[in-house]
Amino acid sequence: MASARKSGFPMLYYREYRRIVRVIKQTVFTPLINTGLYLMIFGVSLGESITMDTGFSYLVFLIPGLVMMGALNNSFQNTSSSVTNSKFHGELQDLRVMPLSYSSIVWALCLGGLTRGLMVGGLIGMMGFVFNYFYYGDLLGVAHPFLLFAFLIIGSLIFAQIGIAVAFWASSFEQLSAVGNFILLPLMYLGGVFYSIDGLSPVWQNISKLNPLFYLINGVRFGMLGKSDVEPYFALSVSLVSFVVLFFVARNCVKNGKYQRF
Amino acid sequence: MKALDVSGVSKSYGSLKALDDVSFSINPGEMYALLGPNGSGKTTLISIISTLLRGDSGSIKVFGNEVGPEQYDTKALIGLVPQEIINHGFFKVHEILRFVSGYYGLYDNQKRCDYLLDNLGLTEHRDKLVRELSGGMKRRLLIAKALVHSPKLLLLDEPTAGVDIELRNSMWAFVRELNEKEGMTIMLTTHYLEEAEELCDRLAIISRGKLLEEGGTKELISKRTNRQVVIKTNTEVDCSSPYLLKKEENSLLFQIPNKMNLGGLLKELDMDRAVIEDIFIKEGSLEEAFLDVVSTSAKGGL
Repeated sequence: MASARKSGFPMLYYREYRRIVRVIKQTVFTPLINTGLYLMIFGVSLGESITMDTGFSYLVFLIPGLVMMGALNNSFQNTSSSVTNSKFHGELQDLRVMPLSYSSIVWALCLGGLTRGLMVGGLIGMMGFVFNYFYYGDLLGVAHPFLLFAFLIIGSLIFAQIGIAVAFWASSFEQLSAVGNFILLPLMYLGGVFYSIDGLSPVWQNISKLNPLFYLINGVRFGMLGKSDVEPYFALSVSLVSFVVLFFVARNCVKNGKYQRF
Repeated sequence: MKALDVSGVSKSYGSLKALDDVSFSINPGEMYALLGPNGSGKTTLISIISTLLRGDSGSIKVFGNEVGPEQYDTKALIGLVPQEIINHGFFKVHEILRFVSGYYGLYDNQKRCDYLLDNLGLTEHRDKLVRELSGGMKRRLLIAKALVHSPKLLLLDEPTAGVDIELRNSMWAFVRELNEKEGMTIMLTTHYLEEAEELCDRLAIISRGKLLEEGGTKELISKRTNRQVVIKTNTEVDCSSPYLLKKEENSLLFQIPNKMNLGGLLKELDMDRAVIEDIFIKEGSLEEAFLDVVSTSAKGGL
């Protein structure tokens, strides 16, 4: 009887998906407007006065960085806000009471984060494509589609896992936003979204290489443009290892985290 | 096999012993009350059974299955109605029941959900968001959520707190129906002791984390309370009896042991029938028994 029970995983994912769609203004359109402004201000307006050694216009250099930033940010936001909202409403304890394995909870939430990450990242990519076409009149191609998607997917899953870990650990909204604002945001901005480390002094170049986000962002840039600050397969290996490590971190947080209401 | 077997469960929060070596068991198909003052450890115990909390020691079995966070087969046997109201941000009543069904692996459960909505008076509210529901409706939704998977053991933690009398009655009628029709074993906590007395054949009383009494409701009442008999007379009578508690003008109040009947009392009093105008009997209640158990233990603890 018991062994015939189906897994709750598909429904957990479906709930995440429904949540994204139900509040799509907040989950997808708001980040799109933010990034649209970045593209306009940095890529188009300021970009004309910036010359890149890489041979690309600054707008083109910026697009993969913003795509990845959008994907990472939103996959983190999705899992962390889903979990903290559930805590706030008191419904998170349902997950504990019901026959759901820790791994199925992590995977369902992660795929929810990935869904939103890819939605936002993809739309930003299209927006960049359109901006570039109208501004410079050329069509942006994708140099290595496989690598592009590999980095997008692994990066989004990694950030979804961080979101899960932090949200299960946190006992207030403040703790959650502290991690987002004091740790992830600086790492993201310093990870090469807006600049190439070629222009930095060797000391700062080496420090930048300690930032795991540097590999994710430059991985996507390589996938899109065929050129970046890192060797792509080394970056992919770093990302895959981070993914596996963080899966166990997230699972452990689901196992031992706080389910109580805020 | 017991429906619920709690054996030697202890739980401390720092220096506070929330549960101190608590043991009792519930038979399949029983309705069982877990009673105790506020802060006595009822919710802690229910949280341990439903794996929201981990006990420090002891073991719990549900229909012979060990309880634990990764004992998914055991979890599927239990339905929990928590004490605190739960909100669900973005979702509607019928969606929530669909999600919860899926969490239990039930992807084709609309019939059961409709049955529950119907019986809990929620059908007309199925398309509402939870925050649009009144307190009583939110409680009923909690009950529906706990029942989507037809659990064999239902844990009700103060399901009637803050619920009006009419709704309370219909809620208990439904719970009784589940017990009779589906053979569901039910453990409930409540501060309305008359509800527990009416519904439950057996009960446990805990206070300050200790199990004070366990057993049949009727037996406990008869052990811990007395019957009171008031005899109204048409004239002032002289009466001396070891059972006489209070004497007013034309009214005598007796307190007799539960095993003594009215005939026995009258025989002993040997009173002239002609002077008797009226007789009232007040049976001992669970409330009196409960207060006696708890206050005796409090005195002993001082």
